[in-house]
Amino acid sequence: QRGERFADISLAARDRIARVGADFVQDGHVILVHGWSRVVASLLTLASQTKHISVICLEGRPDAAGIKAAKFYDNNGIPTKVVLDSAMGFIMESVDMVLVGAEGVVENGGIVNKLGTYGLAICAKEHGVPFYVAAESYKFARLYPLHQQDLPPMGGLPRIDFVDTACWQATGRKGNDTDGGIPGRVELSTRVEINNPACDFTPAKFITLLFTDLGVLTTSAVSDELIRLYQ
Amino acid sequence: LHSIYLCPIDPLQHADEFSGVTLGGAAGSSLDSAVLKLGLLYAQGVIRGGNARCRAMLLVYCQLIEEYDPPASVIGDLRPHLDSNLLKPAFQYWTEHCRPHSVSMGNAFTFLKSAVASLERNISLGELKEVLQETIEAYIRERMEFADKAIAGHVSCKIVNGDVLLVYGHSEVILKVLLQQKELNKQFRVICVDSRPLLEGRKTLLALREACIPCTYILLNCISYVMKDVTKVLLGASALMTDGSLLGRVGTACVALTAQRKSVLVCCETYKISNRVQLESITGNELGDPNLVYEGKQESLRMLNLLYDLTPSNYISGIVTEMGIVPPTSVAVLLREMNPNEII
Repeated sequence: QRGERFADISLAARDRIARVGADFVQDGHVILVHGWSRVVASLLTLASQTKHISVICLEGRPDAAGIKAAKFYDNNGIPTKVVLDSAMGFIMESVDMVLVGAEGVVENGGIVNKLGTYGLAICAKEHGVPFYVAAESYKFARLYPLHQQDLPPMGGLPRIDFVDTACWQATGRKGNDTDGGIPGRVELSTRVEINNPACDFTPAKFITLLFTDLGVLTTSAVSDELIRLYQ
Repeated sequence: LHSIYLCPIDPLQHADEFSGVTLGGAAGSSLDSAVLKLGLLYAQGVIRGGNARCRAMLLVYCQLIEEYDPPASVIGDLRPHLDSNLLKPAFQYWTEHCRPHSVSMGNAFTFLKSAVASLERNISLGELKEVLQETIEAYIRERMEFADKAIAGHVSCKIVNGDVLLVYGHSEVILKVLLQQKELNKQFRVICVDSRPLLEGRKTLLALREACIPCTYILLNCISYVMKDVTKVLLGASALMTDGSLLGRVGTACVALTAQRKSVLVCCETYKISNRVQLESITGNELGDPNLVYEGKQESLRMLNLLYDLTPSNYISGIVTEMGIVPPTSVAVLLREMNPNEII
């Protein structure tokens, strides 16, 4: 029963966020998104109902969450483009705003989100592109990370498998193989350490505004809300 | 030099200010000996540091209230007499004749005055003494001692094995934090940065060495050399301004500036939060003994010994208070939360 109530609160929050955030999207805007976020999706679909917008999705490896997002936006009639994660610098000059969700919003106004958000935020700041975060207030956490290693441990992710588009120099195989191995799979010795964190931390100074169900907040207001919530 | 500074204290005045302080004199004739004694300790710099000065002041007030004996002519409401004959004269004497009061002292004095004002109108002498002494002791206990313990607890999760911590000068709360970390058997080392003329960092160094914490001792001019090894910087505070900037011992701003890319944590109890905003370091600063800068007389050369400086809030990663770690932008919120009765 509480679970259902929580789900209802969550949906209502998402609607409120979509309403406050959609005003920031202007007609003709190109929006860069990272990862798959239902909050961001509802915001952009609401905006697309009254304005012409287009979306660029970063591929979001290793789970290719960006492809999932691209399929959704395409199904909802929004012109969508997909680029590699490594293209974030290349594409930034053609982008009007960046919009991401958040797994958690921390006390200093920063966010914890899918790996790649931090780099994206730095890139956006350098280009003067506004960086917006859409997150419900129940994601506010009493954490105060000082740097990337300061995040709580998030459980190990499996070693990355590089699939289908890997070049032959990486796979060591040319053409189609019949030895039963999956084409494109890379075999690395276990001496090579693979670091695959799920999330990174984006400090507050790179974030322009947060769209939450409490309204549009600046990063300094997050701490204000948290102090009031936990007093 | 004289014209560019907006210092309210005329820089020339310092020549007379430090010719020595004599006990009593015209100002001190009607004051208790405890007040005069504390005043001398302030003026001579024996008691330094926000917490120490405030605590000493409150303990003297405790003693004065204990010995308070209003003349028979005072009947009914004792509060105005207490205020004008006990609290105010002492505070004025210390501030005007010994050493300008710190923000911590000022806030504590304001608290004491409002505690007196909130007493019942016709309270008996005995009860007045009891209530006030208890209030003062509670203030010291809660807002200094417990606060320091809470701060040490909050910082604890940020200090990991292998950390190289940089500290500046001497701060009571920072020392408590470091000693507690040592008790928890964490492996870390400390770089103590010190500066002339007060060389307060030596107190910190001695205390850390007694606890067998590996230390490096340098003067401020060497700081950029060691900064690349530092993982975190811990700074104490004399006061926090509402915009999140830090008022600390002169040199603190240099440390924070050099440590831009590192985490700079400021440990400060909430009672030191001032409701003022200062825009730069010179206005309202305090002058120290110019002879400590350079001895010897030179015709047109004036020695300037400033005691405090202002660190802008964007150089601070986080402020650790007893309420937890907050970003510098939230200092105003803390002031509002901790003093709900005061109209700012």
